[in-house]
Amino acid sequence: MSVYRSTLLGMAVVLAIGFGGGALGATTNAVGKPLPPDAAPPDQQVLTGLTQPATTLDFFVSVYKRPENIDGNSWSDDLSTPLVRLDKNFALIPAAATSWDVSSDGQTWTFHLDKTQVWSDGTPVTADDFVATFRLGADPKVAWDFAWFFGAIKGWDDAVRGAIPVDQIGVRRGEDPYTLVVTTKAPAPYLPGMMLYSPPLNARALAKYGPFYNTDPKTSVSSGPYVLQEWTKDQQIVLVANPTYRGVKPYIQKVVLKFADLQTEFLAYLSNEVDVAANFSPADLEMIDKTPGLRAQYHQGFGDFRTYYLGFDTMNPPFNNLKVRQAFSHAIDREGLVQAVIKRQGIAAYGFLMPGFPGSHQDDLKSIQAYDPATAKQLLAEAGYPAGQGFPKLELWLRGERALGQAVGNAIAAMLSQNLGIQVDVPNKETKLFMDTLNSHKLQFYMVSYGMDYLDPSNMLGIWVSGGRHAWKNDTFDRLVGTASSMVGSPEKRMAMFHEAEKTLVSDVGFIPIYFVTPGFMWKPYLHGDALTPDKIGVAAWHWPGWDGLSTLHQSVYVTQDVSKYRR
Amino acid sequence: MTGRYLLSRGVGFVATLVAVSVLAFLLMHAVPGGPFDETHSPLPPAAKANMLRKYALDRPVWVQYSHYVWRALHGDFGIPYQSPTETVLGLLARVWPVTLRLGAIVVTLSFTLGLALGILAAVRHDTWLDTLLTFLATLGITVPNFIVAIWLIVILSVHLHWLPTGGWGDARLLIMPAIAYSLQPLAIVARYTRVAVLEALAGEYVRTAMAKGLSPSRVVLRHVLRNALIPMLTLLGPLVPDLFTGSIFIEFTFRIPGLGKFFVTSIFQRDYPMIMATVLLVAVVWSLVYMLSDVLYVVIDPRVRVGARGR
Repeated sequence: MSVYRSTLLGMAVVLAIGFGGGALGATTNAVGKPLPPDAAPPDQQVLTGLTQPATTLDFFVSVYKRPENIDGNSWSDDLSTPLVRLDKNFALIPAAATSWDVSSDGQTWTFHLDKTQVWSDGTPVTADDFVATFRLGADPKVAWDFAWFFGAIKGWDDAVRGAIPVDQIGVRRGEDPYTLVVTTKAPAPYLPGMMLYSPPLNARALAKYGPFYNTDPKTSVSSGPYVLQEWTKDQQIVLVANPTYRGVKPYIQKVVLKFADLQTEFLAYLSNEVDVAANFSPADLEMIDKTPGLRAQYHQGFGDFRTYYLGFDTMNPPFNNLKVRQAFSHAIDREGLVQAVIKRQGIAAYGFLMPGFPGSHQDDLKSIQAYDPATAKQLLAEAGYPAGQGFPKLELWLRGERALGQAVGNAIAAMLSQNLGIQVDVPNKETKLFMDTLNSHKLQFYMVSYGMDYLDPSNMLGIWVSGGRHAWKNDTFDRLVGTASSMVGSPEKRMAMFHEAEKTLVSDVGFIPIYFVTPGFMWKPYLHGDALTPDKIGVAAWHWPGWDGLSTLHQSVYVTQDVSKYRR
Repeated sequence: MTGRYLLSRGVGFVATLVAVSVLAFLLMHAVPGGPFDETHSPLPPAAKANMLRKYALDRPVWVQYSHYVWRALHGDFGIPYQSPTETVLGLLARVWPVTLRLGAIVVTLSFTLGLALGILAAVRHDTWLDTLLTFLATLGITVPNFIVAIWLIVILSVHLHWLPTGGWGDARLLIMPAIAYSLQPLAIVARYTRVAVLEALAGEYVRTAMAKGLSPSRVVLRHVLRNALIPMLTLLGPLVPDLFTGSIFIEFTFRIPGLGKFFVTSIFQRDYPMIMATVLLVAVVWSLVYMLSDVLYVVIDPRVRVGARGR
């Protein structure tokens, strides 16, 4: 009898706390953030995802060895707060910097740091942390894998080359510890956008433990929304919400990243082991399409504004002949490709800048390389290869493509054969071999993709400036991109110049755009939050850069009570 | 005689390692692309030069090789580019036991079950049981383990929710990888055992043993099996080192933090120290297993004698 009584009493207490808690005030999570009314209990505010093998969470240690499951979702930089972040509309939001201003010559940028920010060890976040971080990136002895990126900063390239000491680069502490001054070589209106990539390392930890201090909870220190709880090599990383974080605290109080072969991501998603997934085979997509429940969980976004394109060696025959390149560009039916092969995973591309990316003007470019087999044949004949006769046998190299990329490559080869009478083999090459050959300009004909690094045409179009990875050179293009990139004061004129440059690239057939990637991302119906609702152009997506300290995604997403129907 | 034999095997072992290491070193440096060619944009030449200098990759290959050998002889096999926070030896000490543990389960499963099923099929040969077992064995040999792995995940994890799709550290997590990984060696062992036992059963000594009135089970276990084991040793040789160095498919699919995947990722990432380590490890394991199986031949088969000349 007494057992029953105490059980009943216990239940009554639990109920009273449960209901009373709701009446007295919202439940809070482990870092004191009040949860929304429909949220699951705090211990369910956990997000689990799969990632490729990683060696660091920090941008300035290695860009390419951070955890991510697709190019648009990097699962990293959560232990740090960059100067600025991106919201779901790709607008810059102040983060470690509360504001910034530029000198009248457009070359000196002053960032005013948020004085309330602290590291998880209680010390303040200061300009010195940013300075030490940028010096690490420019250090020739460190040999950072993203060292090419900050060439706009004064002295950066010289320091990378070892010609000047790293303390002479244009990243300095200002008049006080909370002012950071960045000087550029030429006016760089895109600099605040570039500073998305400024998640600082802790200067003291860096000096004491070296750049990998964030791979061990004992030496890890964070200025971001999370702190490191566990890093088991080749198995998992566990992050928990940072109680000392002074920015917008996350609802999700624990993030579990499991290292995996991402081909198994969809299966892990179906068996409710992960909350999000982004790697789908054509067979998976077919299943998603046929299953309404899954279909509703599938969201298409921009990813990292990635464009797939065909490229050539335009310095040597046969592709040094513009007519040959034009013939190829008119022989490819992009709409047909999307309908038959690419389906949901992309849209037809006629330029390099995807709709939604700043400066994109697809409609204006559409006619230049339009599908027109008759014109294609005629151009090829004029170039001296009637019906493809005498044209050398080609190889269309692919860069380690999975099923979809290989299908696209083969479909393009079939179109070239059918429309131009040219035989094309489609070897799928290993990534390193492909890039080595591409970068040394020895690749005759290939399909590859590029995704943006920051949201400005100077980035995407910059990779076509001569001397980069492509064997194509056009002085008009180089001049337009060079001038527009450093133009201050007239944004419209600047964008018009970029557009002119893109038009030159398309008209001179420096490449043949094929499709813009619109990657699908699945998340479980129990994940809610403002970041997952439609953006200003109506797209609800797991927007780039994803669950990353550079994004604001982590600020609004939470787990609803519906989770009980899924998680075991 | 035995001493000289062991000495010659020892010399052969060292010569093998030298040959393998030279070949691997030359080949990996000859392949286009290096550890620091990024997939994005070409690095500035200065930055690339820095990286090569940092890892001493700017020296002539023979200098790099001699440095490698010198350091390796002192127990320093370098730092893996894929995991710069530990040494190659540290990485091996972390991941190889995982692979060995799974490998041991697979070897045990496939050899005990394989042997039992093989004997069963041989003893009941030309019956429906034999046909069924042979069919299953053929299936086991022809269906690749990663397909089996995906089937298991779809059935046991996605539909039945009995087991997690992957991971490590919990005994339950071993079930699917052990099954997927064992099927093929198990099937091979079963088929070989069946044939070997059938051949042995036809031997005159079996008829003699039977005629002496020994029970059939005793004949099979005492006489037939011992003879059947000899070809099995030839089979064990190549199977065991394979299982003890892991499978990329099994490890990737089931998220097992083992050694298997490094054989492939090291090459894709041009992780030179890990390529050398994995190649040398395989060379050592294979050499040891072959030596061991040679010794076992002598133990099992009285006709094999060290240094024996044909009469």
